[in-house]
Amino acid sequence: MKTKQSFLSRYKGILIFFAVMLLLPFVIGLFEGSNPLEVWNNQGRFSKYLEGIGIEIFILAIFALSYDLLFGITGLMSFGHTMFFAVAAYATGISLKTLGLPLWQVLLIIVGTSIVQALLFSIVLPRVKGVTFTMVTLGLASMFHIIVMSSDMIKLTGADVGLQGVPKPAFIDPSIERLRFYVVALLILVLVYIFYRRFIDSPTGRVSIAIRENESRAKMLGYNTTAFKVVVMLIASFTASIAGVLHTLYQPIVSPTIADLGYTVTGLLIVLIGGIATLSGSIVGAFVIKILDLGLRGIMKDSAPLVTGIVYVVFVLFVPYGIVGSLKLGGLRIKEGWQMLIERFGLKKLFEKKK
Amino acid sequence: MNLTSPNESILKVQEIQSYISHYHILEEVTFEVPRGSIVALLGRNGAGKTTTLKSILNLVTVKEGEIIFEGRPIQGLTPYEVAQRGIGFVPEHRAVFRDLSVEENLRIAERKKGDFDKKREMIFELFPDLKKFINLRGTELSGGQQQMLAIARALVPDNRLLLIDEPSEGLAPVVIEQMIEVIAELAKKSTVILVDQNFLVTSKLAHQYVIIEEGKSVDRGEMAELIGDQAKIHRYLGVA
Repeated sequence: MKTKQSFLSRYKGILIFFAVMLLLPFVIGLFEGSNPLEVWNNQGRFSKYLEGIGIEIFILAIFALSYDLLFGITGLMSFGHTMFFAVAAYATGISLKTLGLPLWQVLLIIVGTSIVQALLFSIVLPRVKGVTFTMVTLGLASMFHIIVMSSDMIKLTGADVGLQGVPKPAFIDPSIERLRFYVVALLILVLVYIFYRRFIDSPTGRVSIAIRENESRAKMLGYNTTAFKVVVMLIASFTASIAGVLHTLYQPIVSPTIADLGYTVTGLLIVLIGGIATLSGSIVGAFVIKILDLGLRGIMKDSAPLVTGIVYVVFVLFVPYGIVGSLKLGGLRIKEGWQMLIERFGLKKLFEKKK
Repeated sequence: MNLTSPNESILKVQEIQSYISHYHILEEVTFEVPRGSIVALLGRNGAGKTTTLKSILNLVTVKEGEIIFEGRPIQGLTPYEVAQRGIGFVPEHRAVFRDLSVEENLRIAERKKGDFDKKREMIFELFPDLKKFINLRGTELSGGQQQMLAIARALVPDNRLLLIDEPSEGLAPVVIEQMIEVIAELAKKSTVILVDQNFLVTSKLAHQYVIIEEGKSVDRGEMAELIGDQAKIHRYLGVA
């Protein structure tokens, strides 16, 4: 039977990740010759550049986590997931630039838009399943992409050029307060991860897994599965929206590419590469995708996307459980092999725990 | 609260006609299930036994007839509403959730918080293997253990009627014997409708039978009488 673990031991992995990522800019600073105070005051060079990459990875990871909850845990394959992200990104930009609202009011608007979108996607939930659901969500997201790109919307969205010149609140402006932005994004990622982990371990989370495995079976146990899927959709929508807000606050341009299918596919790839339904795989996958993208672009310039595509295909084919999934599977086999060795060489007594 | 007398029918299925897509599967099925009994649905492959169970749960479309559970009609309710009324279903093919542990598989069946804790002792007494493997995932159990888990899961909430579909399918004879003992024990706590191709299983367990042939209930009665009527067994079930 599972024993109750303390918070620290239960979330050991993510807390170590948090501590390492928190210290990383200062350690990098030491290598480049910037003392911790200079890094603290955003005067580092390479460390500041790395903080920027870190922020992009954290945003990608938050987005991918939301996709893993929807697709990996609950089995709802949405091809319109990027709409949650993009609507929040554009709503943030328009609220700050055109409406001139303070950030707290912007956040209230984002809560509202994320709920409305989740309910919009949920309308179809009781009626369509599987590929039909995937196509309906793609249709919804495509409509939003068309609206964003429309020349009639140029004053609001910037159409195909993108939304530029969004004023950033001074206390979190990444060009001035890069380290603060980095810590906030990291903290949000860690909190989302812990919340998701707790959600999966909760009765509602277990029903979500049951829905993925066999929805009829879950219904036969007396669960209104549509209601559970709506809850998951609300959580995923809100999480992706948070990533969208961070994206607008960090990037100089809100590009319409974040509203097309390609961005959902990026989320899907992160989940597949990291390990589907593992949660931590979303963080690992975001690191791999970003670093691979940066590395290949540096070496191969224009042909980088082609090579990246080939790498993804090879990866998905040969590492089907993703990095974290394969490690967990490997870990299991190591344990089995260890037990076999102990039994074969008669070492059972030696390794038995003292009662 | 139980307001009905022990001999009263807990379930009445009256002239139901069911469809899967546009195929007319059940043409006229009628039977009653007395409270506290085990009723076996018998018939050849494809006769409509599993469809009858699914009709009770509204997993297939019932277009005609009436299904009355504890005095109230239940056709037209969603499957989860039928389950919430107190009907548990153990589907064929050992329907456990593979990625959940044994304990999680049992807890997910709770209708009220604490259902599992209240029945933990009873369940582990019936299924000692489940206690031993409580932290293993569904995929790591043997076929027999998965079947036991599927039945145990239906015991967690206070189900007054259990629908058990093909519990002996693909199991070793020793495990089937265990299964028979367990279902007999279950019948002391709940009414059971049993579907099983293995006539040895149903004849040992059931008090009453209903024979379904080509989507129609063609005969019903006491199991003891059927066991003595070899001609009927041969005619409807093809068992010598």
